[in-house]
Amino acid sequence: MAIKVYALSTCPYCRMTRRYLDENGVEYDVTEVDLLEGEEKEAAVAEVKRISGGASFPVVIIGDEVIVGFNKARIKELLSL
Amino acid sequence: MSEAGGRPVRRMFGPGTTIADLKAYMGPFAERLGYKFNTDEAFVNDVLEAELEILEQTGDVFCPCRVRSGDPKEDVAVICPCIPFWRDQFAGLRKCWCGLFILNEVEDGLELLGVIEEPQGPVEVPVCRVTDLPSGQIRHVKVGKRDIAIAHVGDDFYALSNLCRHAFGPLGEGFMDGHHVMCPWHGWRYDVRDGTTDHPNADVKTYEVRVRDGDIFVVV
Repeated sequence: MAIKVYALSTCPYCRMTRRYLDENGVEYDVTEVDLLEGEEKEAAVAEVKRISGGASFPVVIIGDEVIVGFNKARIKELLSL
Repeated sequence: MSEAGGRPVRRMFGPGTTIADLKAYMGPFAERLGYKFNTDEAFVNDVLEAELEILEQTGDVFCPCRVRSGDPKEDVAVICPCIPFWRDQFAGLRKCWCGLFILNEVEDGLELLGVIEEPQGPVEVPVCRVTDLPSGQIRHVKVGKRDIAIAHVGDDFYALSNLCRHAFGPLGEGFMDGHHVMCPWHGWRYDVRDGTTDHPNADVKTYEVRVRDGDIFVVV
């Protein structure tokens, strides 16, 4: 299952989420939105707003599910960790 | 001082700022708004460490959990502590975006970490301290997009729309006379208990007020 994470390089929740995925050997694609520039950044922000309805980070996409924030229980459930 | 977007930008913190400096400046301010630092000190230090990195990169202590637009007028709402700009959302979450600050009454700040979904329905929003509003006075507070006037009469507190229905004068800057506030612009009078006025079809909305542990909350 493809897993996508939108994160900010500075955000503690994003670090906690990534650490949790890493510790469990989960492979995922991550975009650090604040490190992008110009049109690329605008596009990523627009995508996050479209998917999550807001501008809170991280946004974790697992299959059809969108998780906003570090929700360990939900990630664990979806990935059967 | 530098120029950004045509406006002069003044910085509060310079090189060499420490976590202790941030705590000393932010703590007392957040307290006036009904908030305190998260009870988990290691988490607080993590967030402030991230803010110091952002300070070094950008010149100000922007929220580590929010993305900046680059427009100074918009980004002013994500300079830490950003509580006044998001009062209603944070009251629902019981914390700020990061969880750096939690409502005064929350005992275990760690329980709230990770929760970002905003609850639906009415929320109690802390607006100021009882000690900031002596009896016989009224003041304006901003709650999300709402402008609300909080009045203190005797032992009771009242909340009503800040905008006079006549010409939109600021009732929070008006003159108190018993249970009435007189608009500072043209003298229209409103009863702070129910928002009524003698002028036809010009009553203003009122809100429920709760007081707990020295904090004043408005229910919106």
